[in-house]
Amino acid sequence: MQALIPDYRRDLEIRRYPLLVYVFVPLAALVLQAWLPRLMGRYAYMDLPLLVTIYFAINRRSPIHGTLLGAVLGLMQDGLTQRPIGIHGIANTVVGFLAASIGIRLVIENNLIRMLLNFAFTLLSSALMLFIVGMMLGLSWQVNWVDELLRAGGNAAIGLVVFPFLDRLQTRD
Amino acid sequence: MESFFGRYRNLIVVLAVVLAQVMGLAVQVRKPAVAQGSMPGQTRPEGKGVMLIRLWAVSAVSPFERGFHGVSDDLTGFWNNYVNLQHVRDQNKQLQQTIDRLRLEQAELHEDALQGQRLQALVKFREGYAYATLPAQVIGTSGSNQSRVLYLDKGLDDGLKPDMAVITGDGIVGKVRDVFARTAQVLLINDQTSGAGVVLEKTRIRGILRGNAAGQPQVINILADQRIQPGEQVLTAGGDQIFPRGLPVGAVEKVVRDPERSGFIEVVIKPAADLQHLDEVLVITSLDSKMSPQQQKDLAASEDQKGAEAAELAAEAERKKAAQEMEERLPGLNNPNAPDAGGANPAGTNPAGATPALGQMGPDGKLATNASQLPTPKPIPAKHPDRFSPGVLSDGVTGSGTDTPGQTPNGGETQPKPANPKPISITGAVKPRTSRRVQ
Repeated sequence: MQALIPDYRRDLEIRRYPLLVYVFVPLAALVLQAWLPRLMGRYAYMDLPLLVTIYFAINRRSPIHGTLLGAVLGLMQDGLTQRPIGIHGIANTVVGFLAASIGIRLVIENNLIRMLLNFAFTLLSSALMLFIVGMMLGLSWQVNWVDELLRAGGNAAIGLVVFPFLDRLQTRD
Repeated sequence: MESFFGRYRNLIVVLAVVLAQVMGLAVQVRKPAVAQGSMPGQTRPEGKGVMLIRLWAVSAVSPFERGFHGVSDDLTGFWNNYVNLQHVRDQNKQLQQTIDRLRLEQAELHEDALQGQRLQALVKFREGYAYATLPAQVIGTSGSNQSRVLYLDKGLDDGLKPDMAVITGDGIVGKVRDVFARTAQVLLINDQTSGAGVVLEKTRIRGILRGNAAGQPQVINILADQRIQPGEQVLTAGGDQIFPRGLPVGAVEKVVRDPERSGFIEVVIKPAADLQHLDEVLVITSLDSKMSPQQQKDLAASEDQKGAEAAELAAEAERKKAAQEMEERLPGLNNPNAPDAGGANPAGTNPAGATPALGQMGPDGKLATNASQLPTPKPIPAKHPDRFSPGVLSDGVTGSGTDTPGQTPNGGETQPKPANPKPISITGAVKPRTSRRVQ
């Protein structure tokens, strides 16, 4: 457990990325999220915009940054659906804020932590969306929790591959 | 105060962002509540701001999707045409043998195929022109399991409008929801917010089709009914003003109880169209016939011609029947020695009397073109003549044969005695034909 808590200065440093990365990585996540289900059909168990939100939130360690990025990406995701705009937006906003808040307290290079964070935050996102649609909006919406679990697992697995790749894009002092 | 904002800056920001989005949601959801009486799945109006966000999202993503779609097609073509050439030699040999065999079969089936093609072309002509459709490519999805929508590469510029039906050759796919300049959003039939009127083919039970959480279309609002069995076909009912009536939707997969209402069931459908792997679709742009005025005129002329031919055939059949009947009723006018030219109408005799067959030779050796030019049939001499026999005088002396029937020897006229005591009305079937040919 001690290994999971940051005790070095290096573990608490704020990572920075070039501006183009902040533009193109979220955009690529949105495009792939919309395009890959055409190839994979119903087996596209992933949420790439949420994954990108979590990654930048925990690496920037800035709740405001995570909040705004989550809000923008979530609203764009809503823009591609036929549902009211703001469902993904609120869910990703909350997830971005919490990920940044938790990222301060954990060693984010640890793969196990990354997997757990991705899994937990994806499930949290599903629960938030269910709350927003069912409770706040009063719309009927059935949720297949098996699919949501698979989606969380898919995000956790994809994060293991994508996060190290994104680590290479950070700005070195 | 400054320290308060500084201390809780993060929390304040996140609350402000969430609050703004909640307000945005409240504005959007207020409008559908007004339109609750509308059909489920009907397109709901949204504010301009919401549409703008949607437009931004679609504008940001769809060009890349379009590019990805094009690149993936090119790569697939490159791979299939140039790279993946394993076992090509063996396949070539097998294909050559297959071609030889097919050529033989083709020769045998050629005649049948020609006839079949002609009939098929006619049927397809009628069916294919029932609705005006526009082919479109699927370029993307919403990317969310909770929102089953597709994006097409056609939009407002191509004439698409909201609430147009989207189909494939197998069955219905969904309906156009939002239309942008070069892109359109299609709501699939397996989305939870979709709605279409359907009817079960055998039991004729009607219901509303919408998706469930697992992404399967299901028919809801149906009372429990033992007659509904898996495999039964489901068709569009046509009452929703979006999908034309009778299009295939799918087949009944299973029947489950409605968990929320006792006594009701949900009929889960296996969709006829493969909703997970759609590449090309057809958008029904108009439920009216798409034939041009000239095509409609041609079709009407063709049908008129077909009707005229049928009428002519019927008249011909009626004429033959009348001739046969006349032949049976007037056996004395038959010349048993005459050759059977024309079936029931032997040469030299005209059983109908007033119905001379055209095309016979006239007395001048020319082809007769109307009834007046035909030779008067000579009566056959009676074996036992009496005073009523033609050409025999009342005093028993045989006349010259030039006497006109109905004329007495003393030159007085009597009423002509009809040869047939029971007149048969056959002129109606024949006269128009005669006059038409003459004209």
